[in-house]
Formats: sequence, C-alpha cells, structure tokens
Amino acid sequence: MTISSRCLAGFFLSLASAVAGAHHSFAVHYDGERIVSVSGVVEEFRFRNPHGMIRLTGASADGVEGTWTIETNSPNILKRRGWSEDSIMPGDEVVIEGFPANGGSLAMRVYRVSFADGRELIGQQPAAGIER
Amino acid sequence: MRRPGLAALCLLAPALMPLASPAQPEDFRERWSGFWTVRFERDVSGAALLEQLPEDAVLVDDAGGGELAAGEFSGLALSESALASARNYDYSAELLPENACRAPSVAFYMQAPFPMEIYPGRDLIVFKMEYFDLYRVIFMDGRAHPADAPHSLSGHSVGRWEGETLVVDTTHIAPGTFMNNGFDHSPNLHLTERFELSDDGSILRLTQVYEDPETFAGRAARYMSWSKRPGEYVLPYDCDPNYGG
Repeated sequence: MTISSRCLAGFFLSLASAVAGAHHSFAVHYDGERIVSVSGVVEEFRFRNPHGMIRLTGASADGVEGTWTIETNSPNILKRRGWSEDSIMPGDEVVIEGFPANGGSLAMRVYRVSFADGRELIGQQPAAGIER
Repeated sequence: MRRPGLAALCLLAPALMPLASPAQPEDFRERWSGFWTVRFERDVSGAALLEQLPEDAVLVDDAGGGELAAGEFSGLALSESALASARNYDYSAELLPENACRAPSVAFYMQAPFPMEIYPGRDLIVFKMEYFDLYRVIFMDGRAHPADAPHSLSGHSVGRWEGETLVVDTTHIAPGTFMNNGFDHSPNLHLTERFELSDDGSILRLTQVYEDPETFAGRAARYMSWSKRPGEYVLPYDCDPNYGG
C-alpha cells in the first residue's frame, strides 16, 4: 500500500476534520480555513436535500451589508443534530457564523446559528485550529 | 439399477444445487443486519484490514466526508484524458438545478457521510443507502457478472465469504465522479471490497480497491467504517433540485 501524498496520520485526521456537504465540492466552493459572522433577519429558510438554505438580510462583522445566501449541510445530517423545518423562521433575528464562499460573494456554509434567546443550531463543525 | 430414495435425494440436494455461500459465518444475518452510521475515526480501528491492501494501492484520503481540493488526486497517476477532463471541469455547473440531484456511483457514494441499512439474506445482501436513496444488491448465489448487464450507479455485484470477511466484486458501474473534483471513472471501473465486523459486532469496516486503467495507473483504495445503532433507520433523501430557491 502506498500513501503518497500525505502521511497516514494526516489521512485519519482528515477523516475527522470536516463533514462536508453532499453533492457539490465544499472544498472548492467554500473557504474551510476561515469563519465569518453575519447578523440580521431571516428572510427565508428552506430545508431540502441536498442542502438547506437560509437567506439573511444584515451585515457581516466587518460591515458588509446585504442579503446573504447561507447553505447548510444535508438536512438529513442536521435532523440528527436537532434541526427541523421549523428551526428557523422568517423574521428571526440571528447571528450566523460560517465558512465564506470563495470568490467573495455574499454566501457561506453555516457553522452555527445563534438566536437572541440563547438557542443555538450547529451545522458544519470547523476543523480544529480554524480562525474565527 | 436401484434408484435413490427420497431421503437420499434430500441429502444430496444441497450438493446438486448452486450453493448460496458455503461458508456463511454463523449468525451473520443478525450480526450484519440493521442501521450503520459513519464513524469519523481519529485513530483507525481497522489497521488489520488496511494491512491486507495490495502493496501498490494508493489510499485516497477523502472518505467519510473529507474532500480533495481541485487538482488533488491523492497521488494517483491519472491518464492524460482523465487529467485533461479534471482540469477543464466546470465547478459552477455543480450548482445548477439540473445537476443538483445527480447521484454519484458506488465509486463515490460508499464513502459519503450518510448512514445505511444492511439486509443480509442467503442469496442476496441488500444495502439501503441514505445518500440519494440508493440501493446496492450483492448476489451471493455464486453467479458471475453477466456480460450484457446494463451499467448503473451501483453496478453489478457478486459476493462470497472468506471466513468472516465479505468479499464483493463489482463491475458494470456507470461512469461518475471518483473524487468529486472533476476526476471521473470510466465504465470499466473494477471494484473489489472487503467488509469485516469487529469481534463484538459493533463496528463494520471496509476497504475498497479500484482498478480503471483508462483513467489512472495502478490501483486506488479507500478505507471506511460504520457503527451499528439498533433501532434507527435511514431517512428519505428526496433530493430537491430547487433546494436553493
């Protein structure tokens, strides 16, 4: 057996690092090395495979305003973490942290949704040591 | 000439019929059946299975939801045509509704981070995959791959027991992504799998070995594992191409 590109330890750490999405490449479309934060009001929440989708109007922590398109992991994976179709409702004021889209569009993959009442929903976990 | 009696025929019958699997492990139906969820192992639990991989196999490090970046192929030597296709791959097309629910072949879906159910029978073993609501059928009755079988995402699989190890040979796999980064396998991909249970039956482990001379040199391999969770079921996937609105 040859493991030519990475050592075995790195291989198994990579297994644990990121539970990426279903059909399209997370690694290509999102920056898995960075977490950004956006605060605002939910306009829409869809909870369908292969990915859920949140549209949020607000501003990022560094002041960029607009409507963000925020993708989730597969709803099947999230249902086992306590998410449902009613977890997020239009009009909810939330803070969403996630992995920004490569290319600079107002899009991200969700890591965590935080509600004013302290409730939290966890999406894709960042790998250890990721900048937040 | 004396004809054999009914009792003798009954005794001979198992030898005259195609044997489903002459060495099925004891209690295999109970031990293998049920819901299996993907393990994300920091420390590999199946080192013994990995040791059985061919010396020249290149381990592809994307199983369990890990992903290879654009242009990374885990050290596999791609053919010129496969490399050219990968370089010209249009990632933006993945996001189009017409492609959103395009399911991968068994060359990629077994390593996805979704659970599965296994239904083991004497002549068939069925895998019900949560990912894209896919199914696998493993024929255990000794048949060969039919030359005229159609290609499909799950291909045509025949299995046999080697002691406690389930060995599955799959051909007729419809072309599809191999690494989710523009590298597609050909319709001539040959997949050999070795499934093993831990001694206590709580962990299922798998190594896959792929050969596809049209798209890469030598052999590629993957390792993955699942934990048994009694009483749980896979959920419908029901892919919606308009998921993003």
